[in-house]
Amino acid sequence: MGMTRGMFGRAVPAFLLILLAFGGTAFATPTEAERAARWSDLRHAIFGERVVEDAGGLVAIEAPDRAEDAAIVPVTIEVSAKLATELRGLYLVIDYNPSPLAAHFVLGPLADARQIETRVRIDDYTYLHAVAETADGRLYATARFIKAAGGCSAPAGKDQALALKRLGKMKLVLGEHQKSDLPQQAKLLISHPNNSGLQVDQLTHYYIPADFMQTLKVTYNDQLVFKLESDIAISEDPTFNFAFHPANRGNAGVLTAEILDSSQRHFTQSWPVPAAPQM
Amino acid sequence: MQAAVAVVAVLFLATAVSDAASAPLSVSEIAPGIFVHNGVQEDASPANDDEIANIGFIIGDDAVAVIDPGGSYREGTELRAAIRARTQLPIRYVIVTHVHPDHIFGAAAFRGDHPDFIGHAKLPGALAQRGAYYLRRLREAIGDKADGSEVVPPTILVSSRIEIDLGERHLVLWAHGPAHTDSDLTIFDQKTSTFWLADLLFVDRIPVIDGSLVGWLDELRKVTAIPAARAVPGHGPVSVPWPQAAAPERRYLEAVARDTRAAIKAGIDIANAYRHVAQSERGHWLLFDDYHPRNVTASYKELEWE
Repeated sequence: MGMTRGMFGRAVPAFLLILLAFGGTAFATPTEAERAARWSDLRHAIFGERVVEDAGGLVAIEAPDRAEDAAIVPVTIEVSAKLATELRGLYLVIDYNPSPLAAHFVLGPLADARQIETRVRIDDYTYLHAVAETADGRLYATARFIKAAGGCSAPAGKDQALALKRLGKMKLVLGEHQKSDLPQQAKLLISHPNNSGLQVDQLTHYYIPADFMQTLKVTYNDQLVFKLESDIAISEDPTFNFAFHPANRGNAGVLTAEILDSSQRHFTQSWPVPAAPQM
Repeated sequence: MQAAVAVVAVLFLATAVSDAASAPLSVSEIAPGIFVHNGVQEDASPANDDEIANIGFIIGDDAVAVIDPGGSYREGTELRAAIRARTQLPIRYVIVTHVHPDHIFGAAAFRGDHPDFIGHAKLPGALAQRGAYYLRRLREAIGDKADGSEVVPPTILVSSRIEIDLGERHLVLWAHGPAHTDSDLTIFDQKTSTFWLADLLFVDRIPVIDGSLVGWLDELRKVTAIPAARAVPGHGPVSVPWPQAAAPERRYLEAVARDTRAAIKAGIDIANAYRHVAQSERGHWLLFDDYHPRNVTASYKELEWE
């Protein structure tokens, strides 16, 4: 099979790219059988011949049934407490997006995988699939249908001057100080246009170049919380709600977020995390 | 012989106007020389041909200025016919008040007049980002009636304030900071003290927040400090008392700001925040359920950075 370099700099089978080229709105509304076939193709493109089990109740996707704004659709992946401790990765696939693999979270030792939320662009009525990957290589998938359209080519920027001025700036909001046996909640806001590159400049007829976050690495005292590989499906100003288990909770520490975008820009920012109150 | 000449002349005239000869758009003269078409309070559809915004023109002693050429090439030709039914003065300016499709897509109907197209300094960037998308959406909404519609770049950019002269008639054009959009222009006619706010002012129809909520409240404070005999909203009646007509819009925007800040503080997520924000406003606005959730999403994204 012909292989070519993909979005994430790793090999992606050629037929996935063909799917991408003909996906989305090129056809009339797909039937359920066509939707199932598309997921089957995507699953093979991403996971090869590995067995992907039905997650049953172990993994769930929380999202609005109908998105109010297809360019900013909040999606939460929820994992049962037991499975969460065994995970090394989470995948979010938006079947009918031009680039379906929206996010791949590589989970570090400090991650609390029970709940992770971000905001995505959705281009057409589609199933979302979340796939949890355990440390020993098992895969568990769940699906959710969502009604939203036009999110990938929709122009997101409301205030372009502000977007440029704030490019790469981040903001961290920590949840209330938890007792030391509970995870630390955090919300990370990243100012980045995360341009899809699917808009055509009507005046010049050139495509506005894609400019998006490729990787986000979140560490606490140099230990990995998670690393995200992502692309244009993440909304403008990428936002993540997550939780982590700081080591030595009785002491203060430092959370760091590092970004590499498709224009090869690096952004790094750190924040103090206060010590948890003693029990 | 004279009769034959007259017939030929009539035929010639009929041919001359036929390429622009849509039925003239209905307009009201809200003050001497100021004509406004009342857009319907709906979303674009085949039933309304995207003729949903208040658009119009101002006639001076020497020239005409169009203020917003309309939602399609077709509406632009109808607006042009309405002008030509009243004056043969040259159409020297086509002012585009912001990037939204219901205001911009009639511009191509005026190309033959070789006017200056005037827009906010940020309009070219906004058209670049959004023009193609809006054109596709227009075609989805009204089909073939979108034919001829295109993005026309401005030839004069306004970054703070300019004046134009239509002959014994000066118009002041202000470029605003991000508010309804990031390319909002307003126009003040000194002769009749008429303040054309366009979509900086919504009356009856729910305001659409597509620039900056905080910015819009700032701009609203500035424009309401400017006295005027009347104002022209982008959506709503063609002429309203000023500044009283801005009060409901300010009340809505303030409620959205207050309640969205509270929702962020309470940890309510972005998808559900609208259920907790400005619900007291529901009965006051047309199309509330169509736009309020998106307004709250936009406001949430803006205010969570505070």
